[in-house]
Amino acid sequence: MLRLVPSLLSRLGLLLAVALLIVWSLGPVYWSFVTSITPPLDLFGDTSFWPKHPTLQHYAKLFGATSLSQGNAVQSVWPQFSAALVNSIVTAAGATLVTVVVAAAGAYAFVRMKFPGRDICFYLVVATLAIPAYTVMIPLYRLMISLRLIDTYVGIVLIYVSAFLPLALWLMRSVYQAMPISLEEAAWLDGAGRVYTLVFIVLPLAAPGLIASAILTFLNAWGQFMVPLVFSPTLATKPLTVLLPEFVTRNYVDYGLMNAAGIFAIVPPVLIVLFLNRYLVSGLMAGATK
Amino acid sequence: MATVDIRGLVKRYGTHQVIQGVDLSIGDGEFVSLIGASGCGKSTLLRMIAGLEEISGGTITINGRVVNAVPPKSRDIAMVFQNYALYPHLTAAENMGFSLKLRNVPKPDIRKAVGDAADMLGLTPYLGRYPRQLSGGQRQRVAMGRAIVRNPSVFLFDEPLSNLDAKLRVQMRSEIKLLQRRLGTTSIYVTHDQIEAMTMSDRIVILNAGRVEQSGAPLDLYDTPANLFVATFIGSPAMNLIEAVAVRDEGRPVAVTQDGLRFGLDGVADIREAMPLTLGMRPGHFDLSREAAVGSMPFAIDVVEQTGAESYVSGTLGAHRMMIAHSGRFATAAGPAFVTLQPGGLHVFDRTTGRRLS
Repeated sequence: MLRLVPSLLSRLGLLLAVALLIVWSLGPVYWSFVTSITPPLDLFGDTSFWPKHPTLQHYAKLFGATSLSQGNAVQSVWPQFSAALVNSIVTAAGATLVTVVVAAAGAYAFVRMKFPGRDICFYLVVATLAIPAYTVMIPLYRLMISLRLIDTYVGIVLIYVSAFLPLALWLMRSVYQAMPISLEEAAWLDGAGRVYTLVFIVLPLAAPGLIASAILTFLNAWGQFMVPLVFSPTLATKPLTVLLPEFVTRNYVDYGLMNAAGIFAIVPPVLIVLFLNRYLVSGLMAGATK
Repeated sequence: MATVDIRGLVKRYGTHQVIQGVDLSIGDGEFVSLIGASGCGKSTLLRMIAGLEEISGGTITINGRVVNAVPPKSRDIAMVFQNYALYPHLTAAENMGFSLKLRNVPKPDIRKAVGDAADMLGLTPYLGRYPRQLSGGQRQRVAMGRAIVRNPSVFLFDEPLSNLDAKLRVQMRSEIKLLQRRLGTTSIYVTHDQIEAMTMSDRIVILNAGRVEQSGAPLDLYDTPANLFVATFIGSPAMNLIEAVAVRDEGRPVAVTQDGLRFGLDGVADIREAMPLTLGMRPGHFDLSREAAVGSMPFAIDVVEQTGAESYVSGTLGAHRMMIAHSGRFATAAGPAFVTLQPGGLHVFDRTTGRRLS
């Protein structure tokens, strides 16, 4: 007989596992949040789960025109922060858009078109996932210099696309493979061309896969550190991930400000994932089951 | 209205030849079934007519125009797929009107065409629904409706009823037949179900390993199968086969089996002395009785299967296992009995070539 009611012990075990997972994934976020509302002096004294004197001064420093730092009036970091925020959004969104469009069309070709070397091409593209980013950094830097694409949106987006396209292609290919070809055949017989069929029949049905690719690409691009560290030397394209560590100065590490900015930087990806989460899950399943 | 003419059609995948030189002429308004076991090439043949498979050799002509290089959408054909292939994100009405929309037909005209087809198919209350909200039978009708709305010169059906339950299948069978007669559109229907083929078609084409075994009206195939393959493929329960050898007995040709059964071969052409034969007898062409009669053979019954209208009686005739279909109920179970082969109930085949001797 199958026991439908789990025993108390296994339930406790499950609870413990879930609790561990939550602490593991949300703990650092919580730590960051608490730090962002703790006055600077308390940070080095007694640490606790909730600050004794909660303060918004770090947020004021982030958003205000001027702010106080160690008793001195200093200029706000908002201009830099907002520029970096825009850069993060532009590069991540740009990379996402290009990656999804190219993956949607490219994966379709890899599944439905017949051309010599099709599968070899595909596996070569996917194999690039195994190349560590470090090994291509210097040649890529030389290449970007000669193309005059250092510190430009185009340059950063191109690098992101080349890095994240294989995964998106892979995902979209499995999505298309799971779709019955008879739908497309019916559309051809009904008089639709290849492109019309792709856009109006195939893509609407592949929407979960497209959204999953978009989320994965956006999150990957948003969290990038090393690429922009090298290719975004100025605020022309520098994203939040590179700007925030610069709040560490020679004499003083502004933990409060760093964490206030960090908490704020989590907001856009969290919103996107919360909104599209259901599509992410079904999109990933789309290739696995029919 | 259209004719379809197929000449020397060949399909190769690499070195593997799936269609091996098929010739077939289909007349205007004719309903032709392609039938055969799975892997015989019937679906491939249909898809080649549709333009979904490339042609390796030979020609396909639709209405006097060779269409080998014509893309599917320009062949003026409509196809009903086995899995219906309805667009899941479009309503029934949008599915049916899709081809007209692509041809830039004005909206009121599309609505009228879809409405007419829906009337014909009893789909009017469901036009606003999505495929996932429809039952299997309704989806099947929408798939038919999509084909009808286009008013094509040829309908292609790829096992359209195989996903329906048995009862609905019988109902849709006659509906499709009626519809086709009403519209008068040339139709090619692929199925592996011989009952479907027998009941719906003007003509049946039996395919085996990429070749046409025989083509003809359903009852002609049943009455005079050209070879052993057709003989065993058509008819349910299947034809009983017995091996025998031709001998002369007092100047008349007779087939004798190893266990001494004798069947007269008068009127059968091309019989040679000592020729190996296969004799075929349809289960329904026997008279079964408890008493011996002139010309009857002893038959030992093992099992009687009652279906209500017919009884399927299995047993042994000499050393051969046989199935006999007795119309009506055969009350007694196992035991000895006698069978008489009805006149004209013997099919004689050359065992070496499998061909019918007539």
